[in-house]
Amino acid sequence: MFTALAGTPLAEVQAALAEHGQYLPFDPPLAAAGATLGGAVATGLSGSGRRRYGGVRDFIIGMRYVDGQGRLVRSGGKVVKNAAGFDQHKLLVGSLGSLGVIVEVSFKVFPQPLAFATLQISGLSLASAIDTIGRLSTSHFDLEALDLLPAEGAYTLLLRIGGPAAVLPARLEHLRRWQGRGEAVADDAAIWQRTATFSWLPRGAKLAKAPLTLAALPALDAMLASCNAARRYIDGSNLAWIAWPGAWDELDAQLLALGLSGVALLGPPTEQPLLGLHNGANLAARIKQTLDPENKFPPLNGGKQ
Amino acid sequence: MQHAIPVDELGVQGRFMAEAVDACVHCGFCLATCPTYKVLGEEMDSPRGRIILMKEALEGSIDLAGALPYVDRCLGCMACVTACPSGVAYSHLLTPFRTLAELQRRRAPMNQVARTLVKETLPYPERFRAAVQAGRLGQLTRRLLPAELQGMLRMLPATLPPAAPLPEVYPAQGPQRARVALLAGCVQQVLAPEINWATLRVLARNGVETVIPRGQGCCGSLSLHIGEAEQAQMLARRNLAAFPTDVDAIVTNAAGCGSGMHEYPLLFAGEADLPQAQAFSHLVRDITVFLAELGLAPPDGLPEPITVAYHDACHLAHAQGVTAPPRQLLSAIPNLRLVEIPEGELCCGSAGTYNLEQPELAAQIGERKARNILSTGAQAIATGNIGCMTQIRTHLAALGRPLPVWHTIELLDAAYN
Amino acid sequence: MPNSALIDALATFLPVHRLLRQAAELAPYESDALTAFRSRPGAVVLAETQEEVVRVVELCHRHSVPFVARGSGTSLSGGSLPVAGGVVIALNRLNRIVHLDPQRRIAVVEPGVINLDVTKAAAPHGLYYAPDPSSQLICTIGGNVAFNSGGAHCLKYGMTANHVLGIKAVLPDGAVVQLGGDSLESVGPDLAGFFVGSEGLFGIALEITVRLLPRPELYRTVLAAYHSLAAAGDAVAQVVASGLLPGAMEIMDNLAIQAAEAAVHAGYPRDAAALLIVELEGERVQVEAEFAHLLQVVEASGPYEVRVAKDDADRARIWKGRKSAFSAVGRLSPDYIVQDGVVPRSRLGEALAAIQRLSAQHGLRVANVFHAGDGNLHPLILYSGRTPGELERAETLAGEILNLCIELGGSITGEHGVGVEKRAYMPAMFNPVDLAVMNELRLAIDPKELANRGKMLPDGDAPSLTHPGIHPLEQQGVISRA
Repeated sequence: MFTALAGTPLAEVQAALAEHGQYLPFDPPLAAAGATLGGAVATGLSGSGRRRYGGVRDFIIGMRYVDGQGRLVRSGGKVVKNAAGFDQHKLLVGSLGSLGVIVEVSFKVFPQPLAFATLQISGLSLASAIDTIGRLSTSHFDLEALDLLPAEGAYTLLLRIGGPAAVLPARLEHLRRWQGRGEAVADDAAIWQRTATFSWLPRGAKLAKAPLTLAALPALDAMLASCNAARRYIDGSNLAWIAWPGAWDELDAQLLALGLSGVALLGPPTEQPLLGLHNGANLAARIKQTLDPENKFPPLNGGKQ
Repeated sequence: MQHAIPVDELGVQGRFMAEAVDACVHCGFCLATCPTYKVLGEEMDSPRGRIILMKEALEGSIDLAGALPYVDRCLGCMACVTACPSGVAYSHLLTPFRTLAELQRRRAPMNQVARTLVKETLPYPERFRAAVQAGRLGQLTRRLLPAELQGMLRMLPATLPPAAPLPEVYPAQGPQRARVALLAGCVQQVLAPEINWATLRVLARNGVETVIPRGQGCCGSLSLHIGEAEQAQMLARRNLAAFPTDVDAIVTNAAGCGSGMHEYPLLFAGEADLPQAQAFSHLVRDITVFLAELGLAPPDGLPEPITVAYHDACHLAHAQGVTAPPRQLLSAIPNLRLVEIPEGELCCGSAGTYNLEQPELAAQIGERKARNILSTGAQAIATGNIGCMTQIRTHLAALGRPLPVWHTIELLDAAYN
Repeated sequence: MPNSALIDALATFLPVHRLLRQAAELAPYESDALTAFRSRPGAVVLAETQEEVVRVVELCHRHSVPFVARGSGTSLSGGSLPVAGGVVIALNRLNRIVHLDPQRRIAVVEPGVINLDVTKAAAPHGLYYAPDPSSQLICTIGGNVAFNSGGAHCLKYGMTANHVLGIKAVLPDGAVVQLGGDSLESVGPDLAGFFVGSEGLFGIALEITVRLLPRPELYRTVLAAYHSLAAAGDAVAQVVASGLLPGAMEIMDNLAIQAAEAAVHAGYPRDAAALLIVELEGERVQVEAEFAHLLQVVEASGPYEVRVAKDDADRARIWKGRKSAFSAVGRLSPDYIVQDGVVPRSRLGEALAAIQRLSAQHGLRVANVFHAGDGNLHPLILYSGRTPGELERAETLAGEILNLCIELGGSITGEHGVGVEKRAYMPAMFNPVDLAVMNELRLAIDPKELANRGKMLPDGDAPSLTHPGIHPLEQQGVISRA
């Protein structure tokens, strides 16, 4: 585990961990662009690597934050397992600054896989991609990442594995044989770097994320395709990165219609960063009222219910 | 668990009861294997809950009458004993508690009649045979009878096989490897005399001479488990006198009897018969345990391949911890494929006289067992207790799937022919 | 002092056999797996539908009567201890697996579903539910959610909170909310994560969406026996430093080994001072390569015997022994207190040595069986309640162990929760501001303090006390007996 101040750049954290053979398993994106640890928590961002062990919510173990009354509050602890007290550190994951100012965070970390390799399966229809993801989900393959990207009228699946370099060729071959197709990617690091840095975003596009499930994928993908939105789906289609060409409120309405939720990440600032459908407003409002009774921080969602 | 049971006021059994309560740490692991808890989902109908109820009733902090319905619903299957990591000797609490309760409770008149009928007929083969025959006449007028007696009549078979008296000695075939005494049993002898004959043949084929002591009778466990300790002692004494101790084993083919005879030392705790009871129970073996220990002569096999599900009789698996030997014997039969039943640790609901005393619950538990059996795709069932055989047959038939149900020894017998 | 207006209202829709009021019906609900505390509720409701639970909560709120949700009553911290005269809402019959979707690797279950039954339902699809508390064969998902339960295999895949994606819950005033959803991802504050582990103070989960994991292709389990507890502790540090990530890494000391052997004949080396169990899991080729590495690391750590599980049955026996260990200690001692403190893994050896010292100092045996990979200790303090003064000594020793964990930078509880048992120690772990904020959050959600009153937070109503010793709260002057 480690504890760091919230403003510590992710890149610095990653470098320090690497010295000890450790890594951040939730694979936060935008490290190269200077993103901070606190920012990753407040936006609740995890990357493609979340497939293996989980997202930022699964690795945060403690926090100190300043609430709306100026109190320095501690939640959780500095040990990997702790069941004492209410886990406010989880509450602040994804809270977008609405509940408090994160000062310090503690994370559980894991040994970094010694090497990686990726199998690419191209030219899939959406239906066969969904079928493949479904079958992979009930198979015994341990994937570090499972991304789906639309490419020139078809779809590509990227399956990443990690472990001792000596066994990766055999594992990749098992995976390829099980799938019956696919080829090893020559430059593993480069292909994943592209996802993590969002270098695939068209110039001027906004970026949003939307949690989803495999069942919701066809409708969402159809909508995004019809709007000419570039997109990638990570973690077996549990999360969509959306390069949105239009206005935020258009995406808000589209997601709402599909029964999905989302959050605006890059692009023009908005009063209502949370998009689409929202759950738990009743509970969230009570919490906001407690931690920030005088509304010193931005409202949870522009006051929208 | 802490308690304030007045140990000294409860006689010899008081200490056994208190020790069982002491050992319980209330962890709840027993709940998972308790048939009544599975069906009812309430704490009073779990082993842990019943321990609390018996403890409090003994301490005097709750009325016996309030606790009894839940204690009565206990099948006495002892699955909880198998599951208990803490080593609670649940039967050491339950059995004496039932005896104590019997002395204090008032039963409704018809319930008392039914109970007396059970206790005065089942342990005695001649009376039971006569009762079954009388009962068949009674079927005609069944609707006129009180519910308690209707239930009893329903359980009676439509026809009885002819009585087949056993010889005094059944010789070994070939060189003699051992000599045993057989408990002929009571209910089973009337309902399924062929089980004893199969036992004799299999023993003989394995080089074992069997004596069937005259003067023996019911083992007494049925009486003991319904709280009639005095009758149980009387029946047990008869067997202590009738059985020789210069045999390699006292063999039984009824799980309930084996379990009951292992409890003789508890039954005679603090009494003059204790040393004799200990020597006796030390010799007691279930037929499958005896054969597995002896080393089974290889069976020739069955004529056709068959898939058999083995059902663990509670009094074998839980009360005596016998699960491997019957499976080992059945697996030795060529052409027989053995399968396991889901939730195999759960009782079938037969549990001695449970069928008669708690017909509704027994039926729910029996149906659950039948469905679990059918889910295996087995073509037949093997088990080691006549009560289970009857119960499983009834519930398979009720689901329209009357698969054959055999005693383990009958399959072995068939495999030698 | 049951509230008769509330009882009348409940009786309008609950039949008498599901609204328990008689002494014999209530006595079995007086405690959970922490028997040092007992408290008789005014009524027990055996709920059969989610709507019934909501109605009961609404009525309790209207009549200001405290309520406690209960699953199988396996809490080791007194988490489901009733409030005297209050209502127990038993959820055991709310045990439907509403939905299981293998492709999406999720299951939607009601709170009374038994932990292991989720895995049983998922198994035909090659999936399982990862959190595995030792009581998994009977504990319920609802209880797991309330206490963020862990287990031996939480080292790699985390606790209950990491496996709960969505919760439909009734808040203490009867409002029904949906928190989270059925995706692994979410936006906005992680309300589901916040609800998990709130010890029932935020209300009752009615429907829980859990994530399932694919069953590993291969498990490899090794037992290593050591002549000292410290050596086993050092071995853990070496495995961690090796860069391997085991699925589980457990230690049992000799007392725990003896108890477990007596209970389940797991085949442990009975004479070992300490036993280390390490398990790797994953794809076959990788596990085999890593296992060779693990064996080297373990061999180098100075064990006097190393044994590898031969097959699935052998592995099952090893784990059955480990998971029965707490209850099996009942064979060694009529009473014991289970502790659940956590220390940083790097200070494990130090903590174990200190516990041994404290044990000798107080003249009480302490059995150790714990999640070494997580630094989550489970000292079991053995005492006899019949020996005057022994319970008090045991409680003092327990308190010193908790303080030790805090001093070493750890926690008073890793997975059992604070419950009624450890709430007196919350002020040692959190400062007054931290506790004030927790209390405010609780009041915002439950202004009448009805939901599982008396748990976790160090003030509020004390539980009714029927055990003979001095409660930690009494020692601190927080409560007193009339």
